Amino acid sequence: MRRIFLAIGGTVAGLVVLLGFKSHGGPALAGVAAGTANSKPYGQASAAASGAAGGSSGAGSSSGVISTAGGGRLITGDVANTAYGPVQIQVLLKQNKITKVTVLEQPQSTENDIRIGDFAFPKLIQETLTAQSDRIDSVSGATYTSGGYIKSLQSVLDNGA
Amino acid sequence: MRVGPVPVLVVIGLGALGVLVLWWSNALAVSGFADWVTNAGRILGLLAGYGVVVLVALMARLPPLERGVGTDRLARWHAMGGRYIISLITAHALLIIWGYALTAHIGVVQEAGTLELNYPDVMMATVAAFLLLGVGIVSARAARRRLRYETWYYLHFYTYLAIALAFSHQFAVGADFVSDWPARVGWSAFYLSVAVAVLWYRVVCPLRGAARHQFRVVGLSREAPGVVSVHIGGRYLDELRAEPGQFFRWRFLIRGLWWSSNPYSLSAMPHPDVLRITVKENGDHSGAVSRLRPGTRVIAEGPYGSLAAVRTRRQVLLLAGGVGITPLRAMFAALPGDVTLVYRASDSRDVVFREELDTIARARGARVHYLIGSRAQLGGDPLSARRLQELVPSLHRHEVYLCGPAGMMEAAVAELQTAGVPRRRIHYESFEF
Repeated sequence: MRRIFLAIGGTVAGLVVLLGFKSHGGPALAGVAAGTANSKPYGQASAAASGAAGGSSGAGSSSGVISTAGGGRLITGDVANTAYGPVQIQVLLKQNKITKVTVLEQPQSTENDIRIGDFAFPKLIQETLTAQSDRIDSVSGATYTSGGYIKSLQSVLDNGA
Repeated sequence: MRVGPVPVLVVIGLGALGVLVLWWSNALAVSGFADWVTNAGRILGLLAGYGVVVLVALMARLPPLERGVGTDRLARWHAMGGRYIISLITAHALLIIWGYALTAHIGVVQEAGTLELNYPDVMMATVAAFLLLGVGIVSARAARRRLRYETWYYLHFYTYLAIALAFSHQFAVGADFVSDWPARVGWSAFYLSVAVAVLWYRVVCPLRGAARHQFRVVGLSREAPGVVSVHIGGRYLDELRAEPGQFFRWRFLIRGLWWSSNPYSLSAMPHPDVLRITVKENGDHSGAVSRLRPGTRVIAEGPYGSLAAVRTRRQVLLLAGGVGITPLRAMFAALPGDVTLVYRASDSRDVVFREELDTIARARGARVHYLIGSRAQLGGDPLSARRLQELVPSLHRHEVYLCGPAGMMEAAVAELQTAGVPRRRIHYESFEF
């Protein structure tokens, strides 16, 4: 009986300590804190998504590099196919710095896909802006979407950065 | 080669630590309650995926573990770990459902449905979880007593199926594996190596041994009502290097018996062309053993058991309860030094090998004490510390080997310690696996 309590208590305590460390003081904390404080990038992203989706249908799914008036480069990533549908993103680079990520295409065949996208993309974008690379973690509960996002992001960085 | 219990536990612990590192390196910073819940579920899932393979590895008959840790301790770890892992799996499933539901702002029931239907391979994993839960429930002590050993044994094969079913969802939806190729490769290699070990030590080796040694039943002799000795002949048996106190897992190739292998101790010194086991009828398998006929082919896995491996004292006490005499009978003839055998049985009809034991005792100048009868007839517990001290002078200086029913051994270990025998000099293996 004592063993049972030890096992349960030990496991719960271990989990709390691990998760506690992961939520306090980890280097990634800064990024997420900024993300919650400033949700603007995603607001722009979703607005851009609807606009750019129409544009991208004309251009097909090809990726490309467009120079913008502000001195940045707007790079469209490859379409990454996932089990739930295609993911494609567009990245604004200014002086080789990722300043904005726009989601052009995302899985949306079911309500669930949309819900998953709604919580996953803001996190992924925030991570990208913080990491300034494609070395970012996938979001739990949205592993496929994350995988597609990371793939598309990789193609952007291969092409333009 | 043998690996002791402590190093094995350290290795298992380091593996678990590696699993936590895998989570740590892949996880995003945890923010918000939903994240806490989901990540707790992920960690438990990873630990369960690791632990379930460790449980199989413990039962893979790896020779260094069988020798160094001992079959009975491995079985105890397996049983304890099994309960723990099943709890982890249950908690994993519930926490993931809850965490995802919180993130998506929908009810848990709806989220459970979504997970089952929309996430790849989750339904297979759910079937696996229920299979493991079922096996866990029937293996639980209370239920096992009401279950035939054979049924219990075969139910365990469903765990292999469950592990296979649950494997794919780990890569398909596991956040730690989706974009982490090295993790996938390492994880797969871990699963694969244990699978290969199981196949090798539980299938290939016994078959090769059977081909090499050509085991066959050569004769049966009745020792007491319901107790029968089986003599198994074969070639090159000295190559097995079996020692008194060890056991084999025996599979008799006749209808109704070939599909199960049961552990029975050698009850006599192993001979280059014949081995002897002694079996008490107590269940389907042991009951059918008495109906074996000479000529039956046998597959033997072993030898296993480390009962007689440790020895520091010249004076030895062998303490047998009932049919637990079998390994001690072999040791009684073989162990050097000053040996005393105490044989406890509740009825004189249960005493086996009486003539053999008396002959051995005379031949080597050893002592045998028979303690026969119920406690009432014997005026109290004959294995109490005081009675044992009277029976065996300078008991505290003896090395003690025990074999018998679990309850008797538990009690005897406590009494021996009371009598001043250090725990490290009390050796026993329980045969409840």
